[in-house]
Amino acid sequence: MTLATGKVGVICCSGEDLPEGTISRVATRLVLEKLRPDQTVTLCLPLFLAGGEDERAFARVFPTIAVDGCSKKCAEAGTKKFSGKPVATILVSEVMKKYPHLKVKSREKLEPQEMELATKVAEEIARKVDEILCRTAKK
Amino acid sequence: MQNSQEVSSQPFTEDKVAVIPCAGMDKALGSVARACAFKVVEKLRPGKAVLVCIPPLVAGVKPYSEMVKTYPSIPIDGCAERCATKIAVKNGARIKARILIPESAQKHNLKPGSASDIGPDGEELAEKIAEEIAAEIDRLVGK
Repeated sequence: MTLATGKVGVICCSGEDLPEGTISRVATRLVLEKLRPDQTVTLCLPLFLAGGEDERAFARVFPTIAVDGCSKKCAEAGTKKFSGKPVATILVSEVMKKYPHLKVKSREKLEPQEMELATKVAEEIARKVDEILCRTAKK
Repeated sequence: MQNSQEVSSQPFTEDKVAVIPCAGMDKALGSVARACAFKVVEKLRPGKAVLVCIPPLVAGVKPYSEMVKTYPSIPIDGCAERCATKIAVKNGARIKARILIPESAQKHNLKPGSASDIGPDGEELAEKIAEEIAAEIDRLVGK
């Protein structure tokens, strides 16, 4: 068996109730597919919450980043409850405060402004991934 | 639509239906589950369908935990893990119908693209499933 190293799990809330949930989902996919494809994996939150043992085991062994749309912080709370506290949490509603000119309203398909915000969130996630891997490498 | 032992036969008189999509992150079919839920609650049956977000439901956050107990439920599962159904059952939902997206994709012979972009086939599949769910909602709570 080969143990994968140098990976960070990204768990997003993907909430359907608010546009911020969609931003969390799109930002996470941007990290996985474009920004840090070799350093990240995603953990499916519904599977994780429903009892997916592979997902939970990964989050017990590898560092994780929770990406939450709103202050309920469901991704962070779920990860903490079933595996361990995420190393970092990115809160979309907090990132939005830094970019007040970017408005979000769509829950389904993102408009250009919303995509821009998703990209900003993705960049924050990528920075956290780098920090975590850098810390891990020094140990 | 599936019938199973998880489908409740209890009578009910509610005027809304709870739609519970899995929104799985890793597969295109999870994105289709999400897309068809939005089509139902925002376009096809906005007054009759309520969207239940799974993470706060598991966390016991109101009103989601109450919605699944109050209204008949339709979970939409993106894969055979059937997380939406499992979580709904665990949280006391009265399930009246279920959607399993892989079966619907096979039935309609449509292949969605990726989790990031479900593509034209994924859009068409989401439309078709959303219409089936809307018809089921009419059957359950009237037109």
